Amino acid sequence: MEKNILMQVENINKFYQMGEVTVAANKDVSLQLYEGEFVVILGASGSGKSTLLNILGGMDLPTEGKVFMEGEEITRYSDRKLTAYRREKIGFVFQFYNLMANLTSRENVELATEICKNALDIDEVLDAVGLEDRKDHFPAQLSGGEQQRVAIARAVAKNPSLLLCDEPTGALDFRTGIKILSLLKEINKKYNKTIVIITHNVPIGEMADRVIKMRSGEIVETKINSNPVPPERIEW
Amino acid sequence: MKKLDVRLFRLIKNAKGQFISLSVMVILALTIYVSFSMVADNLNDSIFSYYEETRFGDIFIEVVKIPKTAIDKLHSIEGIEKAEGRISQDVPLRVEDPNEKVRVRVVSLPKEKGGLNSIYKLEGSDLKDHAKSVMVLQQFADARGIAPGDKIVPYIAGREYPLDTAGIVGSPEYIYLMENEQALLPAPEKFGVIYVNEDFAQSVFGYQGSYNEVMIKIRDDYGDRIDHIADAIEDELERYGVKRIVKREDQLSHSMMMQEVEQLEVMAATITVLFLMVAAVIINVMLSRIVKNDRMSIGVMKALGYGNFSILLHYTKFSVLIGLVGSLIGIIFSIPLSEAFTNLYIMYMNIPMFEMKIYGAYFVYGIVLTSVFCVLSGLMGARSVLKILPADSMRPEAPKAGGRIWLERVKIIWKHISFSWKMVIRNIMRNKKRALFLVAGIALTYSITMVPTFMSSVWNNLFKLQYGEFQTMDYNIDFAVPMNQSALTELTKLIQIDDMEPKVEVPFELRNGWKKKAVSVIGIPKDTVFYHFRNPKGEPIHLQDQGIILSENLAKSLGVHIGDEIILKNFMPDKEDKSIRVKGITKQYLGANAYIALEAMREVMGEKGIVTGAIINSQDEVVSKLKDVKNIKQVQSVQDMKNSFLEFMDMMIYSVGVFMLFGGILGFAIVYNVTIISISERTMEFSSLRVMGFDKKEIYKMITKENGVMTVLGVLIGMPLGYSMCQGMVTSLSTDLYTIPLVIEPANYAVTAAATMFFVTLAQLATIRKIYRLNFMEALKNRIS
Repeated sequence: MEKNILMQVENINKFYQMGEVTVAANKDVSLQLYEGEFVVILGASGSGKSTLLNILGGMDLPTEGKVFMEGEEITRYSDRKLTAYRREKIGFVFQFYNLMANLTSRENVELATEICKNALDIDEVLDAVGLEDRKDHFPAQLSGGEQQRVAIARAVAKNPSLLLCDEPTGALDFRTGIKILSLLKEINKKYNKTIVIITHNVPIGEMADRVIKMRSGEIVETKINSNPVPPERIEW
Repeated sequence: MKKLDVRLFRLIKNAKGQFISLSVMVILALTIYVSFSMVADNLNDSIFSYYEETRFGDIFIEVVKIPKTAIDKLHSIEGIEKAEGRISQDVPLRVEDPNEKVRVRVVSLPKEKGGLNSIYKLEGSDLKDHAKSVMVLQQFADARGIAPGDKIVPYIAGREYPLDTAGIVGSPEYIYLMENEQALLPAPEKFGVIYVNEDFAQSVFGYQGSYNEVMIKIRDDYGDRIDHIADAIEDELERYGVKRIVKREDQLSHSMMMQEVEQLEVMAATITVLFLMVAAVIINVMLSRIVKNDRMSIGVMKALGYGNFSILLHYTKFSVLIGLVGSLIGIIFSIPLSEAFTNLYIMYMNIPMFEMKIYGAYFVYGIVLTSVFCVLSGLMGARSVLKILPADSMRPEAPKAGGRIWLERVKIIWKHISFSWKMVIRNIMRNKKRALFLVAGIALTYSITMVPTFMSSVWNNLFKLQYGEFQTMDYNIDFAVPMNQSALTELTKLIQIDDMEPKVEVPFELRNGWKKKAVSVIGIPKDTVFYHFRNPKGEPIHLQDQGIILSENLAKSLGVHIGDEIILKNFMPDKEDKSIRVKGITKQYLGANAYIALEAMREVMGEKGIVTGAIINSQDEVVSKLKDVKNIKQVQSVQDMKNSFLEFMDMMIYSVGVFMLFGGILGFAIVYNVTIISISERTMEFSSLRVMGFDKKEIYKMITKENGVMTVLGVLIGMPLGYSMCQGMVTSLSTDLYTIPLVIEPANYAVTAAATMFFVTLAQLATIRKIYRLNFMEALKNRIS
């Protein structure tokens, strides 16, 4: 099967100035993301995976190097264009859900969709993540897993080219975590969305099409899973 | 509705106390701005349309006697549109109670209508064409219950003249009715104006074919040359004995009315700006705190693809909504308030054509003004949105550095402070900006509240100083004509007198270069016991054989200092101008006068042994006993003035209350908002304390202690601030007519402090719910923003 390149990362470096010390969060990172691919980036805390995710999502710019999305170089974008990029191309799912406390589930999703052009039907997405009965609840009335479902719905409903998930199961118990992973896999298949998950939880890598391991800001290993394990069979 | 707006509304709903208290400030600001401005405009327009209708003159000249032909000649002076003569003379009025002294000004009216300073009929019929017909000024008629058909009896040249009241009238000259500049307050039941036929006035006062007052109307296009015209008139009329030339701007009623208009305008501007400024500062602080707390949400919004501008707008809308809600409600309130104010002025000011007009422009200005304040404060408060980087916002903020405070290094003190006080002190010191704002707010509240408490005692002080320290006589007696000193011996036969001094009181025009001022110059014995002159520093000074002492305000308006020479210009015909040296400047609270030693004064007058009156102390029934004595023009009782002053005091209470309310609202809004902000900011801290076992009461106590410390600080800083505010008030309220003494008693400070603490306590109580409802478990476990 011919795979189309969605994103191209070319030799990026990201340095932070911490007083007199320069810390390199990403060192000479290059990678490609393909359309419809499910990628897991593995690494301990401080390995630079969050920085990479932020750069992929247009939340941050690398100090050096180039990033292309669908052939366009986003590293040359202005602030305004980066905002538009996040709006149209990227869906974020955070470890701590980060929902708006004073908006209902439905409104949280709408908050994201009302500013993009190709949004999906909200009810359909909410149904797909299994929140048929919780649409009018406020975050405080939902369990952690339910909140993360809202967050996923919020990211998916935008119909982005890329879904970026930062430790999506980090704040959840095992059972709920597995359910969230299944949901992400389902979305990957159903909507043919490229999904990148970053996590320190090694077993999650088993469900990916490709696993990228990072350490000290560098990619140390890339492994292709020809037979990804269904999330239900993962254990940690 | 946009989901961001939904979020905003829920945000406001959560902070409704703050939203409401800020809106109330905007409502107040706008209501005051719109209604005061409209009333000022309405008042000003009404005054001038009244002037128009009644052809109110521009220059008024008092002369000894002038024939009609001389007045007609004035028309040759360029710029004069019309010159008219009339007779005006103050005489006693007979009333039922023999002890009551009532004076009226008898003013003549020409036969043909359409003259200058014409009267405006309010009730009854026109002036009848016979000698006994009289028109009575409204305020006086109201105060004394005179109606058309009633008889009134002026006492003219030793004879009673019963007159028939034909009608009740208003006059542009007496919108504000006061006998003269020396009277502090209007006393409409003691002094009135009546209008009679010219023939009658000329015959009873002995002015056949002549007048003692000239009214001038100048052409509209010569308005800026009024001074030249006045000088030309003065030269022209010199030989008729010019006593006084009054331009419209100095005319008593007119200048009082213009002051009223100006005061309204100043109030409209200052109160509005003050309230908007305080509201803007609170909004600024509140929004910057909200933005700080919303860091994570803002990060999410940015991650979702919301641009900086939309997020900035999202938060700025909070303050814009305050402005909008405040403006709309303010406008709704301002209409009935303007109407009520206008009605008050109609009742109080006696302008018959006073009508209420709505000036839409003020609504627009008001909304623009509040919008500018709200938008700017909103943008200022929310501007840190721009600084939040999307990638950083996902991480929790690094904890604030919590170093030791300086007080901890002073071991001796620190050791003896209890733990809870240590926390209180640390909290205050760690968030200096917030503490500073609260202290400043309380200081402002204190100083604003101080103004009314000070004002409520101002008139009392003024009176006490003027009649308790400066002048200590019981009665002031003026003779109708200058007499020989032997007249005083006559007086002692009529009444029981404890102390008596002769006086020679004559109006002069005092000149220093181009600056001039017409005042009563009073000649009294060098060793007077009734006058106690003190220089501005408060040291006693005394009259000298030669030279003149000026009251402080007079010296200021002439721009002279001790040692300068000034010109005394005599209004009497054929009298030389005299040059005299200023020997002293005295504090005088009421009126503007100059003082000369009696002998020197007689020398100036060129007449030996004359007196124009006497000042006395007496326990006797002076007023009634001297009532019908020939040659006594008036007897002024200090007690009477005191009484009319007490009546006036009742009115003061009202405005004092309003000011208090303003101070209270301001103080409440500041303390309430700062406390709420501080509570929401410290949710985590309080939750941790709760988990450690502190109960709600203890946490609330801690906040109360913090606010208590800052209230004490605020009050301390508020004291000098309040003093300078009162000082400003004194300068802005002092006029040529009176100087307000800046006397602030310890009681003023104490009352103000009590009031301030009351406002703070109210606000503190209003925040109690927030603490008691704090769900600490939720706050600790949840990181949803």
